[in-house]
Amino acid sequence: MTTGTDRVAGVDVGGTFTDGVALAPDGRIVAAKVLSTPEDQGIGVVGVLDALLDAAIPVGRLIHGTTVVTNLLLERTGARVVLCATEGATDLLELRRQDRASLYDLGVQHPAPLVPPEDVVPVPERRTPEGVLRPLTAEGLASVVAAVLAHEPEIVVVSLLHAYADDAHEQALAAALRAACPGLEVVTSADVLPEIREYERTATAVAEGYARPRVMRYLEGLSSRLLASGRPAPAVMTSGGGMRPAADAARQAASLALSGPAGGIVGAAAVLRAFGRHEALTIDIGGTSADAGLILDGEPLVEPGGVVAGVPIALPRVLVDTVSAGGGSIAWIDDGGALRVGPRSAGARPGPVAFGRGGTEPTVTDAQIVLGRIAAHRFGGAVALDVDAASRAITALAARLGATTERTAEAILSIADAEMARALRRVSVERGIDPRDGALVAFGGGGPLHACALADALAMRTIIVPPFAGVLSALGLAIAPERREVAMAVLRPARDWTAPEIAAACERLASRAEGRERRWSVRARYVGQGHELEVPVTPGEDGSAVAARFAETHAARYGFTLPQAVECVALRHIASDPGAVVTFTRDRSAAAVDLVAGIDSGGPATVEAVPGPRSLALPDATLWVGRGWRATALAIGGWRLDRKDA
Amino acid sequence: MSAPESVDALELAVWASAVAMIAEEMGSVLIRGALSPNIRERRDASCALFDAEGRMIAQAAHIPVHLGALPEAVRAVRACGPRPGDVFLLNSPWAGGSHLPDLTMIEAIADGDRLAGFVVVRAHHADVGGMSPGSMPQGATELVQEGLVLPPVRLEREGVPDPELLGLILANVRTPDERRGDLAAQRAACAAGAAGWRALLARVGAPRLGAVGEALVTYAERRAVARLRALDGAVGRADDVLEGDGIDETLVPLQVALSIHDGRLRLDFTGTSPMVRGNVNCPIQVTRAAALFVLRSLLDDDVPTNAGIAAPIDLIMPDDCCIAARAPAAVAAGNVEMSQRLTDLLFAALADAGVAVPAQGQGTMNNITFGGAGWTFYETLGGGQGASARGPGPDAVHVGMSNTRNTPIEALERAYPIRIETYAARRGSGGAGIHRGGDGVVRAYRVLAPCTVTLLTERRARAPRGAQGGVDGAVGENRLNGAPLPAKCRRTLQPGDLVELWTPGGGGWGPPS
Repeated sequence: MTTGTDRVAGVDVGGTFTDGVALAPDGRIVAAKVLSTPEDQGIGVVGVLDALLDAAIPVGRLIHGTTVVTNLLLERTGARVVLCATEGATDLLELRRQDRASLYDLGVQHPAPLVPPEDVVPVPERRTPEGVLRPLTAEGLASVVAAVLAHEPEIVVVSLLHAYADDAHEQALAAALRAACPGLEVVTSADVLPEIREYERTATAVAEGYARPRVMRYLEGLSSRLLASGRPAPAVMTSGGGMRPAADAARQAASLALSGPAGGIVGAAAVLRAFGRHEALTIDIGGTSADAGLILDGEPLVEPGGVVAGVPIALPRVLVDTVSAGGGSIAWIDDGGALRVGPRSAGARPGPVAFGRGGTEPTVTDAQIVLGRIAAHRFGGAVALDVDAASRAITALAARLGATTERTAEAILSIADAEMARALRRVSVERGIDPRDGALVAFGGGGPLHACALADALAMRTIIVPPFAGVLSALGLAIAPERREVAMAVLRPARDWTAPEIAAACERLASRAEGRERRWSVRARYVGQGHELEVPVTPGEDGSAVAARFAETHAARYGFTLPQAVECVALRHIASDPGAVVTFTRDRSAAAVDLVAGIDSGGPATVEAVPGPRSLALPDATLWVGRGWRATALAIGGWRLDRKDA
Repeated sequence: MSAPESVDALELAVWASAVAMIAEEMGSVLIRGALSPNIRERRDASCALFDAEGRMIAQAAHIPVHLGALPEAVRAVRACGPRPGDVFLLNSPWAGGSHLPDLTMIEAIADGDRLAGFVVVRAHHADVGGMSPGSMPQGATELVQEGLVLPPVRLEREGVPDPELLGLILANVRTPDERRGDLAAQRAACAAGAAGWRALLARVGAPRLGAVGEALVTYAERRAVARLRALDGAVGRADDVLEGDGIDETLVPLQVALSIHDGRLRLDFTGTSPMVRGNVNCPIQVTRAAALFVLRSLLDDDVPTNAGIAAPIDLIMPDDCCIAARAPAAVAAGNVEMSQRLTDLLFAALADAGVAVPAQGQGTMNNITFGGAGWTFYETLGGGQGASARGPGPDAVHVGMSNTRNTPIEALERAYPIRIETYAARRGSGGAGIHRGGDGVVRAYRVLAPCTVTLLTERRARAPRGAQGGVDGAVGENRLNGAPLPAKCRRTLQPGDLVELWTPGGGGWGPPS
């Protein structure tokens, strides 16, 4: 528990840097950055804490965003899993959903499954929607246990058909395995994801098993490393934007697969709330990619589903749509004569031409530099920008297109913007959300540079560039609410679900999760539909209230309702304790905003408004105020931008 | 900025992205709203955007057989004198349709009182009436046996719905509630597309948007032509057969002479069978789709899908031809099986011309339809893809003109009186080679209620061929209670009967060691 004098720290491990943010008891913010330590992320975590804090100041709570799961899925370095599956349906991981990896490129393979066929053990049992068809007998159990142990597994995953409705066979097999081999880790599919669709449930459970042993080892190592430096065990950010103590998180390894990007959007949501608004799109632009997200009612939109490194993980996750467009994206001309940008990126090495590290192909960052939007003397400290080289590279491209250097540079930015705008539309318009109603929160190194063009493309009128835009993920971690999520399959018509039954189900879920604030929601659909919409429910309401709310949401999202019964698929419950309170204020001790030099060092805002077009160097990024936009320094730090015609 | 009526090379990527996004959004709305597993789970659907002149500007293709087949549908609607806000439905293969279950909805986009373009949503419905549940009959000899035939009819006139017409349609299908829901989802997808197009119009104005359409189409054409020029002088021939016309097992011969010259792809189908009695015939738009798919697979993945890719293709068809069928021919299986064989044929001709292409894949969609009292269930199954110089053929995927997903066992068993007893990889069915062909699948259906089963399958007698010395893939097998079933058949089933499909493996590449 946090006491009045303890600090709260958030640490986000990225590919290049490990970012840390500490909140003082009065809510003020301190940030630091160290190089990441891929061989053991924990070294960097302790390193950034050392950089942030005097060891004498106690850390009450540490929240950690980690890429351990993402990396082990990408590198395929997880555990050796033995999978137990219903006899007759043991090849689900290989069969996937039978669609091919590429529509037109016929040689492309799907990534290999996490469990090879020889490590799948058939289970002599069968359940149907009506009930048990083939009981799992004692002999059956014994034969499966023997077969599993013969494989000497690191961990076992049990995934049986229709276990979302009744997991008695899964539980019986798990118990038999644990009895036969004490200490053996067993994951059951209904525990991980009690939902219909055998492939997605099995794949998710297998991802859990594949990741769990490594995650346990990592978090145990990190905890003891922290303990050695007198600090408490960490909590870990989940893909769903909540946080769990390390001991729990290790047993929900699959729910950490999108831990990193979730932190950024949680941070953006906190800034948005501090600013008094509740609906926004978010864009986080880095060197090779851009992440788009959506905030509704002051909270990141959480949806089930998502694929990480070719592995479907159907757990709730903060919606993030990633596109290959960033500062390092390379501009080129295709065989139809069109100017193109990306998906190839110059990355950090060789990087943009202007970095002088051997890059020869012009990038988005080079275009920004040629247009004077990034001031050469203010960029990233150590790097001296070679403006002439960038200009030469873009001029060479322009000559092939028969265009001017300036127009070519502008076109490069427009093309990158179009890719990012597409991601922003996917997260909003496809969900029936009109982007014009919200603000755009722009962060990451490139977010403030592209924000005005993206807002123009989506007809948005307000942009917020948060303070600490370069370490927003770490900030999001520091202020994340402690949040537990539990769910159960329901699968019944809404109209005959009575109020007492709903109340009892809510109560049952509540008993599995602690927290001061409690919310319940039902995932529902018209009978026959395959996609569900999530609608809130409170104990005391009956199924017809759920059905009415569902129809209302369906009409708002898709523009129609059907004369069809509504079916409830799952009941979900979130129990949370509020996160740390943070005070966003400009640092009175730092230098002021210097409009002449175009520099904002985070100091007091003496300026009323800055009209575009012009650029402004922020402490950790560059802000481009586009034509027709006006920027206002915020008392909470950062900037607000408004379209002049607004 | 350039003049409003011109679009140059610097802006193409921006516009390609903007219009592709609209088609994508339509697809997403359709899949989220649809009721039937065939649309929502298997995604047997396509969405496209056309400008006011009827040029296809963008298509979000989930299914290659819809590729390039939609312009005919828009042409048919334009011949009806559409008013802004009219919404048409059609499925007639003689008026832009493919086969009857594919219901194509087309909205004439209204921009005030001006016609601003068209949005098209084609989706395969689980039943449109006719002689057999699922409307994928075996043994049909005329189109009217296969279901309700819709020339372009107006579901809405200038935005006002015609409930009587919808009532007529629903009265002629076996599962009207599901059809109503799927049509509502198609309508919502059209509305989303129309809204997206109107937003672009509002931003840049009609003259400029017209120029954008023109520029995108010529750009795609330039890229297709550039690829064809790289293959200049290629000449090849190929022949193949379908294993029966759906009535009996008389082979249906197909032949093509391919030549690439001066940036054009010429396909001469002289020697291909006349129209046949059964329903493996296909309208010419399906043939065009196959040709487009094969050309598309030679292009980079990022070439925008619009009318421009079709421009450099010349088709030469004999007068009476099973792949340019005319009324009153039956066509249900042509769209699914003839289209696959056409793909195999064209790849074989490319190989003969010295172009590097993969060995043959399963070459069938393995169509299976069950129908009983008040229910119909249709699905298709993946199989082995052919191996190539790059590596082994993928296992258990849809090849060629289909890319639908499977029906989850758990969803299927909750919805229909069928139990899936086996769903497994068919190990060893891919042909051997330096690179092995992909494996097929085994799927066993135990029926729990009286019903009929209809099978429309291929590559049950003639195997997918290996390439460069690679071994052929295994032929497919159909079984009822362990006994072989023909490739195309219909059977009445009793509770407890077991139907098994063993789908073909892909051909291997290079001689096995």
